[in-house]
Amino acid sequence: MPNKTGLFAKRSCIVCLLFLLLTYGVRAQNTITGKVLGRTDNQPIAGATVQIKGTKSATQTIADGSFSLDVPGGKGVVVISFVGFENAEITLTGASNLGTILLTTSTATLNQVFVTGYTAQRKKDITGAVSVVNVDDLKSMPSGSTESLLQGQASGVTVFTTGAPGGASVVQIRGITSTGNSAPLVIIDGVPASLHDINVNDIQSVQVLKDAGAASIYGVRGSNGVIIVTSKKGGGKFRISYDAMVGTQQPLAHGWKLANPTQTGQAKWLQYENDGLVPSDKQYGSGAQPVVPDYITPTGSMAGAPGTDPSTYALYTNQITLADKGGNDWFHDIFKPASMTDQNISVSGGTEKSSFLFAFNYFSQDGTLIDTKLQRYSARVNSVFSLFNDHVRIGENLFAFYKSNPGYLNAPGVNNANSISAAYQIPNIIPVYDIMGNYAGTGSAGLGNSPQPVAIQNRQANNKNQDYEIYGNAFAELDFLRHFTVRTSIGGTVNYFFNNAFIYTAYENAENNTNANSYQEQYGWNSSTIWTNSLKYNNVWDKHNLTVLGGTEYITNSGRAVGTTRGNYYITDSSNLTVSPNLWTLNFGNASTQTNQNLIVTYNGLTAQTPYQFALFSLFGRLDYQYNDKYLFSTTIRRDGSSVFSPSQRYGIFPSFTAGWRISRESFLQNVSWLDELKIRGGWGKLGSISNINPTNAYTLFGQVANQSYYDINGTSTSPAAGLYTQQYGNPNTSWEKDITTNIGIDATILHNRIDLSIEWYKKLISGLLFVPQVPGTNGGASDPFLNSGDISNTGIDFAITYHGNVHNVGQHDLHFDITGTLTSYKNKVVSLPPGTQYIDIIPTGGGTPFSRLQVGQAAGAFFGYKVIGLFQNWADVQKSPKQDAAAPGRFKYADVNHDNVIDANDRTFFGNPNPKFTTGLNIGVSYRNFDFYMFLYASVGNDILNDVKNSTDFPQGFGNQMSENVAVSAAKIVNSSGQPTNVNDPTAQVANPGTNVPALEVNANFSNSTAFNSYTLESGSYLRCRTITLGYNFISPELRKLHFDRLRVYFQVLNLFTVTKYSGLDPQVNPGTNVLFGIDGGAYPNNQKSYNLGVNVTLL
Amino acid sequence: MKSKIKIFIPVGVLLIAVIIYACDKKLNIQPQGALLTTNVYNNSGVQGLLIGAYKLLSGEDVPAPGLAYGSAGSNYVYGSNAADDSYKGSTPSDQPDATAIESWALNQATTQYVEEKWSVLYTGIQRANDVIRAVRLATGISSADTTEYVAEARFLRGFFHLDGKKVFNNFPYVDENVSYANNNLNVPNYENGAYVNIWPKIEADFTYAVTNLPGTQPNIGRANKWAAMAFLAKCYMFEHRYSDAKTLLDQIIAGGTTAGGTPYSLEPDYEANFNPPQKNGPESVFACQTSVNDGSSTANDGGNGDMGDVLNFPYGQGPIGCCGFNNPSWNLVQAFKTDANGLPYLDGSYNNSPLVSDTINAWTGTVDPRLDWVAARPGKPFFDWGMEEDSWIRDPNSDGRFLPKKNAYSKSQQGTYSSTETVFWGATQIDANNINLCRYADVLLWDAECEIEVGSLDQAETYVNMIRTRASNSSGWVYLNAAYNSSTGTYSPQTTPADNYNIKPYPAGAFASNGQAYARKAVQMERRLELAMEGHRFFDLQRWDQGGPNGAGSMAAVLNNYVSVEKNRHSFYYVVNTAVFTPGVNEYFAIPQVEIDAENSTGKVFLKQNPGYQ
Repeated sequence: MPNKTGLFAKRSCIVCLLFLLLTYGVRAQNTITGKVLGRTDNQPIAGATVQIKGTKSATQTIADGSFSLDVPGGKGVVVISFVGFENAEITLTGASNLGTILLTTSTATLNQVFVTGYTAQRKKDITGAVSVVNVDDLKSMPSGSTESLLQGQASGVTVFTTGAPGGASVVQIRGITSTGNSAPLVIIDGVPASLHDINVNDIQSVQVLKDAGAASIYGVRGSNGVIIVTSKKGGGKFRISYDAMVGTQQPLAHGWKLANPTQTGQAKWLQYENDGLVPSDKQYGSGAQPVVPDYITPTGSMAGAPGTDPSTYALYTNQITLADKGGNDWFHDIFKPASMTDQNISVSGGTEKSSFLFAFNYFSQDGTLIDTKLQRYSARVNSVFSLFNDHVRIGENLFAFYKSNPGYLNAPGVNNANSISAAYQIPNIIPVYDIMGNYAGTGSAGLGNSPQPVAIQNRQANNKNQDYEIYGNAFAELDFLRHFTVRTSIGGTVNYFFNNAFIYTAYENAENNTNANSYQEQYGWNSSTIWTNSLKYNNVWDKHNLTVLGGTEYITNSGRAVGTTRGNYYITDSSNLTVSPNLWTLNFGNASTQTNQNLIVTYNGLTAQTPYQFALFSLFGRLDYQYNDKYLFSTTIRRDGSSVFSPSQRYGIFPSFTAGWRISRESFLQNVSWLDELKIRGGWGKLGSISNINPTNAYTLFGQVANQSYYDINGTSTSPAAGLYTQQYGNPNTSWEKDITTNIGIDATILHNRIDLSIEWYKKLISGLLFVPQVPGTNGGASDPFLNSGDISNTGIDFAITYHGNVHNVGQHDLHFDITGTLTSYKNKVVSLPPGTQYIDIIPTGGGTPFSRLQVGQAAGAFFGYKVIGLFQNWADVQKSPKQDAAAPGRFKYADVNHDNVIDANDRTFFGNPNPKFTTGLNIGVSYRNFDFYMFLYASVGNDILNDVKNSTDFPQGFGNQMSENVAVSAAKIVNSSGQPTNVNDPTAQVANPGTNVPALEVNANFSNSTAFNSYTLESGSYLRCRTITLGYNFISPELRKLHFDRLRVYFQVLNLFTVTKYSGLDPQVNPGTNVLFGIDGGAYPNNQKSYNLGVNVTLL
Repeated sequence: MKSKIKIFIPVGVLLIAVIIYACDKKLNIQPQGALLTTNVYNNSGVQGLLIGAYKLLSGEDVPAPGLAYGSAGSNYVYGSNAADDSYKGSTPSDQPDATAIESWALNQATTQYVEEKWSVLYTGIQRANDVIRAVRLATGISSADTTEYVAEARFLRGFFHLDGKKVFNNFPYVDENVSYANNNLNVPNYENGAYVNIWPKIEADFTYAVTNLPGTQPNIGRANKWAAMAFLAKCYMFEHRYSDAKTLLDQIIAGGTTAGGTPYSLEPDYEANFNPPQKNGPESVFACQTSVNDGSSTANDGGNGDMGDVLNFPYGQGPIGCCGFNNPSWNLVQAFKTDANGLPYLDGSYNNSPLVSDTINAWTGTVDPRLDWVAARPGKPFFDWGMEEDSWIRDPNSDGRFLPKKNAYSKSQQGTYSSTETVFWGATQIDANNINLCRYADVLLWDAECEIEVGSLDQAETYVNMIRTRASNSSGWVYLNAAYNSSTGTYSPQTTPADNYNIKPYPAGAFASNGQAYARKAVQMERRLELAMEGHRFFDLQRWDQGGPNGAGSMAAVLNNYVSVEKNRHSFYYVVNTAVFTPGVNEYFAIPQVEIDAENSTGKVFLKQNPGYQ
């Protein structure tokens, strides 16, 4: 291989050399003069930049708007630019005085300059698909996870967020682009990093590169799209800004609708009666009717019963607990109002030689889920120094933060539930505390095995979850030989984390309640470095404008992390078995109980078993050519080499081509007055992806792991012999996931710059999906390598429109408004699977039957199982229906998909699609006098949700967990022919309430009620949400300006004021899950809680 | 200017070349924290792989968290719950897969347990195959060692296949040529219009092990020649080849030793087989070795202890604080009734009222003393934890009144033979009891069956009486008002037996005088009592059915009869009262639908579901 790459390098150099020679030898020089005025007011414009296009020759206008500039060779195009005005361009014809030049006030964004792959472009020159995020809108909501703010702000971008403070969000660009990880590449100031913890106030601009034309310069890492973030730089006057916000977040008014203890008792009796059994229950007795007891410990006791005397209280043997007869509201036991604050201060300024920005941020949010919080301190220092007449620029961008984010974890040591799912599983006859103030729980007999939600959260209160991170880069740029710029940048990230958790003896639980306590600590670090070198050539001659860029990039990632546990800590409070946090160090635990593990870490969107290391080396090139500012052409190529593939498959080459035509510049459209700008563009390109692939994929590896391969061959009971096992099979033939995008777009500005719109159609074909296909069990337990297995395609439309409006003379003042709508729509389809494979089943974590299946023609993630078409109404109905296991009145009737009159595995079908038909965001901004108003609406339409909460609350035959009110009230009532209650096996049994879709309550689980994965829990997940309403008032006045105030604004804000949806769960925006299994609501942290915030923005000059 | 270019070009070219060369080389990154084939293909590597294969005897394989109950090394779900030994326990549909298995309502919708069993067995098989594959590629291993490693690996491979054969019947045989790399994982169980017979291949593995393994091993937990012989005999028992089995069993009884070289014999005290400090005694032919507090526990699994039985402990506020699964059935407890002669009721009348441990009008007659080591009963000591009581039962409607004991440990063993590695949710329920996979009593009783079919009824009676005589040793009984010595598994003082115990050997010549049918009943009953709750009962009924002494349909008759009585008692079948055992179907379990889906995903049928399952 070295030969081949060497050759490639040589060729690149020869090309570079040719450009060098081409540009050599221009030497004549003229001086031009002129005067710049504003078109509307004819006032001189001071400080406008006058530049010879494509060169560094530039000057600025002086106070009267005049300028003088030496022009080498006397030829070229002069560009005059000034903030707030359209650029003017004048082609030099030899005349030295250009006279008066009028600049038009700019309203369009066409001249905005965006950072795209390794370079910057004006919007009007862009030929790829790029969404530009309005940073002001982005900042309109406070959040501890900055990426969540992208929701609805850029067309083509879908964001799933969680309500947990600091919880990670999932960002998808143009839908699901991989079966593994769809997270886009985020480049912050040229360094791959995470948006999650960036201080949103530091952001200067956010661009989203969506298609191959825009993103393929990022090659392997670009296939999920690229988000380019540029942080603010200093410059201009010295200024101090202070932005502060305080707020409070309210829990949802209503949790799940659950049955109260009286309803629960009656439902329990029905369970038995429907199955033809005599009802009895540890708590509700064994009479003809259930009796809600006064005490749940002693089991099912009434007041005055033996053992209810407080003097007989004992933690394990008689934990006296009153029944909560009205039903405890567990949801609001764990969700309480919470506060939030965001404090930001920044100082910036600069001279001609240097500029700087320093910013400090403190963000603190308590979760509405008790004992959860995020606290983050961050600081940024950006500076640039220019030397040698600005021919050399040296600078750095540096961001550092510390955060503490304990809380919403699946508490280690607790069986099968986090606190939110526990809150709908634990019966509400259980109060939070027993009579002595210790936790009550399912240790009171006969009440299922859910852990106690409040206890779970309280016990995490002192746990730590800390991150320290620094990222940034240092760069140097040198302009030479007039047309060349060489740049080198070294950057990276270093992250260090520490977590600890104490696991108490959960004495209140039904199961595992005598486990000794234990304590665990986890430490680790992640690091990445990136070294980028580029050489840029730019030249403008006649009507030609050519930019060529070439470069190299080397990226390496590594990390290590370890976790250690010890048990049997000294109990400092024996009444409730707690241990003082002062003793939470490893040495206080019993050394013989120590277990150690290398951790699996997720960092910047990649998940790896530690220790890990992988590297990427790339060569890239880019060529942009414009003719007459009308015809635009761009091509990029990147050759990536990745350490995760074996040498034979290591290198991938990813090209792209795009072209644009600014039709509005054609003479035949010059006189169409309503059309300000019209551009048609299209492109084709290829990208790669290795997201989420195991870095050791090519290797067959063996592990030596205590719980996997040790065996006590000597019968010692404590000292097993170390053994080995095949951990994974490698595949040296695995290669790049390839992603081919075709994109056609139209950008237009119409009606005198009042409307900007952009519409794009795309097709994205992802071939050779990197995926671990399902293999037969005969494989054994070793994990299998990622294979290039199958293709999926996304076709879609991205649409964005902005209306800039003005209403004159509303009460003698103008009212300005901007309305921006974005729409994201994609259709996902599996195009092919590996030869011979008809489907790949997607089995949820923990095993069982598949929930989804990848099959040609179906969308990734589509739900696959039995489709419920109703309930059997009576035995005649059962007889005439296809043969179905355990069919009986009041149970589910499944669709006979293959019409063979038997319900079996072949009748499983695709019954729902969690992919939305479209998502849309609407930003409305209005300003009037000193007031400003902003509203953001977001909608997701056409997605299905599996409300998996119902699998617990609607099927009491599960664990004896809490039932829903719906099932207690509206379950199918089984009666005989004379209308009297009977059991389902009675030949005359029939459903008395035929309209219901809720199956009869039963003790037994079977294929026709709860054990088959079916469509019962399917619901529509469409919703419309008012994410933000903000009303601000700006106090600025001449008097304040004299006091150096440049800005003084206060605002009031309401988040999540309303949600319109038919979905019955807490929040229709459910956690995303994986790319092949999502849209399943098992009780997620809701993200639709109302917040009320008050803020202030101050800038001092 | 030109001179500048002259400098720039070579410097630039050189720089780019250096960068490309250096960075390309840096892409060769070897994995960290794992061994490569080059590290493993040697003597110690192969030894390590072999240990890793033994590890799978526990049935616990945790690439995916949660696997264990369906694949428990003790086979309690299939061998005991699905037969008349025990109920699943807990609430009716906690672990719904176990409900489906116990009520013989297994269909493709509820396949997680069977999938656990299936995948854990093949993990064991492939780990054994890894040894065979590695030994061929390894260097520096003597031919004697090579033979030894391969023989042990083939023993394990045979063991896992035999287990799969018992549970699934049409279980594909996977040898060392089947691998991910060879892309031949779709191994058929059905070819040319018929299910594939894998018995010859299982026998070949055990035969190789018999031929090539020594009688004495350096480690007590290793399979030796005698263990291999016992499992080969077990294959013959399942194939109803009694003469072949008898030849081997006679040899074992005549000269067999444990891996430590101790001649096989019955432990003086029955409980010694189930008491962790007494593990690997002279009765242990082959067992899964378990260990605790060895740094092996994780958040998702209990490490190297007896993970499979993690649920089989008293409920809630009872000792150990768990889940209340695998409750001995009313029927099983009644089977321990003895008559005035100290013999079991072979006519089935044991199941009539009055019942042992009934709340009203309880049985006042005599019982077999083994009962109180098999099942914890109300008012009887649960080791040194105190008397068992009804509050330890999770759901009195469906769980009966009894708790399993053979997998449990005593209070004084807590922390020593039970885990304190508490990051795992159920650490207290992880213990270091051996899982007996074959004990000498098993060998004697097989040989007794062989004697009945192809030998001497008197000799069969001798074997059965050896078992009964040991059980009658009063030093190994359970006593009231006595201290429990957890290192010897005995009580003192031995003055008040926990119940009215009476057990006697069959009178000399009883088998011969009552005839073959009587002898079969006696041996079958003895197997049930002696090996109760050890995961064998279902497979014994299966073995005695078609082709066996009781004939086709006998298993269905036993189990349907069992349900017809149990559904009127507070038992699993009181709640799941529609359970029916279908003869010709439920003698084996369903092949997991996910495996059928996976092997047949090309459209061609490699794996065919067992007859009678949808």
